[in-house]
Amino acid sequence: MHKNMKALTPNLLKFIIIACILTVVFRYFLSYGIEIKSNPIILFSAVLYALAMFGAGFFFGKRDAEYLPIYDIGFRSHLSTYIICNGMGELWFLLGFNSPYESIAVIHQSAIIWGLFLLGHFLFFLYTRKKVINGLNRTDLFE
Amino acid sequence: MKDDKLLLELLSAWEETYKKGQLTLWIFMALQDGKKYVDEIKEFVEAKSKGAISCEEQSLYRALRKYEHISVLAFDFQPGNKGPERKYYYLTEMGQMLYARFVERNIQLFYNQEIRELLNA
Repeated sequence: MHKNMKALTPNLLKFIIIACILTVVFRYFLSYGIEIKSNPIILFSAVLYALAMFGAGFFFGKRDAEYLPIYDIGFRSHLSTYIICNGMGELWFLLGFNSPYESIAVIHQSAIIWGLFLLGHFLFFLYTRKKVINGLNRTDLFE
Repeated sequence: MKDDKLLLELLSAWEETYKKGQLTLWIFMALQDGKKYVDEIKEFVEAKSKGAISCEEQSLYRALRKYEHISVLAFDFQPGNKGPERKYYYLTEMGQMLYARFVERNIQLFYNQEIRELLNA
């Protein structure tokens, strides 16, 4: 990215804060659901978490594009989500908040699989760099 | 009567296309005239273009943020009239050069005698 490119925009920062809160809440209910072996709690919290994350990403992504149309094909929010979800998972185990039935190997496996998709996204992101000037799509720059 | 309607429709369609991309030039001209805050830029554009270029505040703010992001303009804060400080925008050195080169390559040609005659025909 260009040295002047402001990758961390106010709306991305708000998304990161909301995503952190949602992830903590999700992790709590996930561990609780696993602890008491309740499939409905596990399923319900996962679905709600996915919907809430999608909604937050959609809302702040739209506002971000209106604020400053950075052409990154969603890579900044994908990277943020990856770091939050996996980082929070690691931290959950590190702090001992996990259920005894949970395995940290699952966190590592999902981080690797997701990481491959993230890498693919990053390569595509690099490919689109030739269309941008300082992070903005050259065709949308002047109006 | 039918021809008048068609003429207006064609003119409107042409102008819609022609005006795309014009806002940048008018914003740059406004700032070439001197440092301005958003309302002053808006007033300048609408007055000097005789209303031909409409300048909605949202579009103007968005355009200014983009130009600031690519370092062709910057701003400093100056006190407003009894209110909070205002952002006064100005062209950076890069902005000045960009404006000069754009005018030289795309606008100056309209000052050519032959073209002026054709425009006045």
